[in-house]
Amino acid sequence: MNSRVLRYFLWMTFRFTLAAAVLITIVGSIFWGIGSTYSLEWDKALKFLSWYNKGILVTIELFIFSAIIALSLGLIVALLRLVPFAPVRDLAGLYIHIFRNLPALVVLLLFFFGLGQVIDIQSFSIFGRNYGRIFIWSVIAFGVYESSYLAEIFRAGIQSVHKTQIEAAQSLGMGYFQTMGYVILPQAFRVILPPMTGIMVALVKETALVYLVGGVGDLTYQVRQLAIPSRPYVFEFYTILAAYYLSIVIPMSLLSQWLESRLGISKARRQVVD
Amino acid sequence: MISIKGVQKWFGRLHVLKGIDMNIAEGEVLVLIGASGSGKSTLLRCMNGLEKIQEGHISVDGLDIQASKTNLNKVRQEIGIVFQQFNLFPHMTVLKNITISPTKVKGISKSDAHITAEKLLERIGIPEKANVYPDQLSGGQQQRVAIARALAMNPKVMLFDEPTSALDPEMIKEVLDLMRELAKENMTMVVVTHEMGFAREVADRIAFMDDGVIVELGTPQQFFENPQHDRTRQFIHKVLQA
Amino acid sequence: MAKTHFRKAQEQRILKLTLRFILSASLITLVLWGFYSILEQNYIFRWGLALQHLDSFNKGLMLTLQASGLGLVLALSLGLIVALLRLSPFALFRDMGTLYVHSLRNIPFIVFVLFMYFGFARAVLPRPYPNITLLGWDIDDRLFWGALALGLFEASFMSEIFRSGIQSIHKTQIEASRSLGMSYAQSMRYVVLPQAFRVIIPPLTGEIIALIKESALLLAIAVNELTLTAKTISGQRPLQFEFYTILASYYLTMTVPISILSHYLEQRFNIHRRRS
Repeated sequence: MNSRVLRYFLWMTFRFTLAAAVLITIVGSIFWGIGSTYSLEWDKALKFLSWYNKGILVTIELFIFSAIIALSLGLIVALLRLVPFAPVRDLAGLYIHIFRNLPALVVLLLFFFGLGQVIDIQSFSIFGRNYGRIFIWSVIAFGVYESSYLAEIFRAGIQSVHKTQIEAAQSLGMGYFQTMGYVILPQAFRVILPPMTGIMVALVKETALVYLVGGVGDLTYQVRQLAIPSRPYVFEFYTILAAYYLSIVIPMSLLSQWLESRLGISKARRQVVD
Repeated sequence: MISIKGVQKWFGRLHVLKGIDMNIAEGEVLVLIGASGSGKSTLLRCMNGLEKIQEGHISVDGLDIQASKTNLNKVRQEIGIVFQQFNLFPHMTVLKNITISPTKVKGISKSDAHITAEKLLERIGIPEKANVYPDQLSGGQQQRVAIARALAMNPKVMLFDEPTSALDPEMIKEVLDLMRELAKENMTMVVVTHEMGFAREVADRIAFMDDGVIVELGTPQQFFENPQHDRTRQFIHKVLQA
Repeated sequence: MAKTHFRKAQEQRILKLTLRFILSASLITLVLWGFYSILEQNYIFRWGLALQHLDSFNKGLMLTLQASGLGLVLALSLGLIVALLRLSPFALFRDMGTLYVHSLRNIPFIVFVLFMYFGFARAVLPRPYPNITLLGWDIDDRLFWGALALGLFEASFMSEIFRSGIQSIHKTQIEASRSLGMSYAQSMRYVVLPQAFRVIIPPLTGEIIALIKESALLLAIAVNELTLTAKTISGQRPLQFEFYTILASYYLTMTVPISILSHYLEQRFNIHRRRS
């Protein structure tokens, strides 16, 4: 490795370790100062890591399925927001504004206890894996909820592409879907990517709510099962839980930053207008 | 080839085209000139349906532009247009820019489209630029690629909307030369331009527009040497002085 | 001719808007009604019975408002402090701010609430757990920890909004106002803050909506706010669909006005920016 990069890396590590130490000392001294007798027993808490490892897989599964639903629904709603027939745009707008303004948990409750009573889905199999009611409704609820955010992001991205590009595509005889697929969406993606990553991160975080309707063995559910009075390492357990979520989310942010910088190159490729 | 009858157009309260009647024959080169705001670009854009007209009819090769959407997509395959700002697709290579429409719209096989594209690139003199992105080309090269992109659809008519206005002076010639060649090959062309030299030399007829009407329509000789209207005379006087 | 055409166009526009309103309203009604009648085939809605519980909902609403209010005050003040930390010239302060912001932003709020209450307040603090009194107001300790968690968590988001707002004001603006003879305070008051405000307000209203929505998660530590109320009473009576729909409309009545306000402000400020 380049020695300058290495030195920079070490320096940043040092800086952040120091900052973390200072932060922890401040918080710790406030609360231990009040007279806490809690003793940290990390070694005992860390024996339960296998619970977390099981949970993280379920969390990722929940995330992937809801992301697929959210992305496809979001694109459909965004396109509906752009149709020439105004009532359809208004209908799509209503959809967006209702779901954006509700807590994710309330959407989950509505879908699971509301629609779940009316529409009878017991299980669903794909790729040789079987998913139960709670899983299915959670995935649908989160997918619908986040699709309302994604729809607005997609719409803004599509509208950011210059009108002349649409004209050029139409002049070459392309129809609506061809113009979208070959010309608009690839260019809109650059604008869409950063906020979309934010939504994906939010989606990972939302999956934690599933334990409130019964749970499917995801990370948070696992820790709720772990933290019983006979295992009094709650502080440690929840700290580890937070670390597990960070381990999913931080790589996502990094990936997005990397993609962004790659796409930045093509940004420079942008045609000079005016 | 193109027939324009009683065309009227408003932008909100602004009356931009006030009754245009004109026929353009096959193989003819018609140059539209006029001051900015005279409606010449709008008229050109109406000819392939980029702008809607409120009254009148425009048909190209017997197909009515206003009739229906399917008609419009069909007509547009017959009409190539070249814009002032090139409007190349920035996320595609030059080759892809040229082949995307023939393959996806006309359903021509990829290999055939490539052969055509390479011939066109050869013709516009930059065969080596097939795999670069538009922003790595000069303005003149970009505009020539835009012309090649339109030609790849094998159109019956080519429209040019001030194709040299966004170019540096030293690049104007390469684009005009290409257009000259096209004219020699009997391509039907409608050109909006400020290049008076080009108009004089290449046009079969010149239409002078002012304030939404065609004031004068005739051969270049008539137009430059014996204009019938005051407004035309004033315009020629101004541009020749500049 | 042009004039009549213009008048015709104007009349047409009004007609179009009316038509759009009628068409949109009927399309929306049609879709919702169709959806509802499909549901009705499999489920008997008993709105009358469900609406008898509005009192409990109203009690829950009070707690939601208290938690959100406390949380908001804390989030705004702490958010500003963290923003200033992140803009400080000392790397140590900046890093502390960065760590704070990024570690909270990237974990689920529910995990943070559980951590604060079960992992921290209940486990680490000495017993017994006293009720907390703030300015003569007795705060239940669940509500206190819930609001604290809400405030600490949202502060990480607010601080980013403040920071980008402050950074968006170009240094040349301060230089310009100082060179006109304004004092530092004056240039802040008349030049910098009004501009920063403009940048900050729209995302800030969005964050307030997020905060209200997040307060629903305090149900995990048994704060009897709206969502927990709905959950509890739907355990007593089998009217879950109705209860949760009522719950949703309670949230919408709080959040939709804020989101409309935010939209309005955004447009207004945009116009100002365009004019300047």
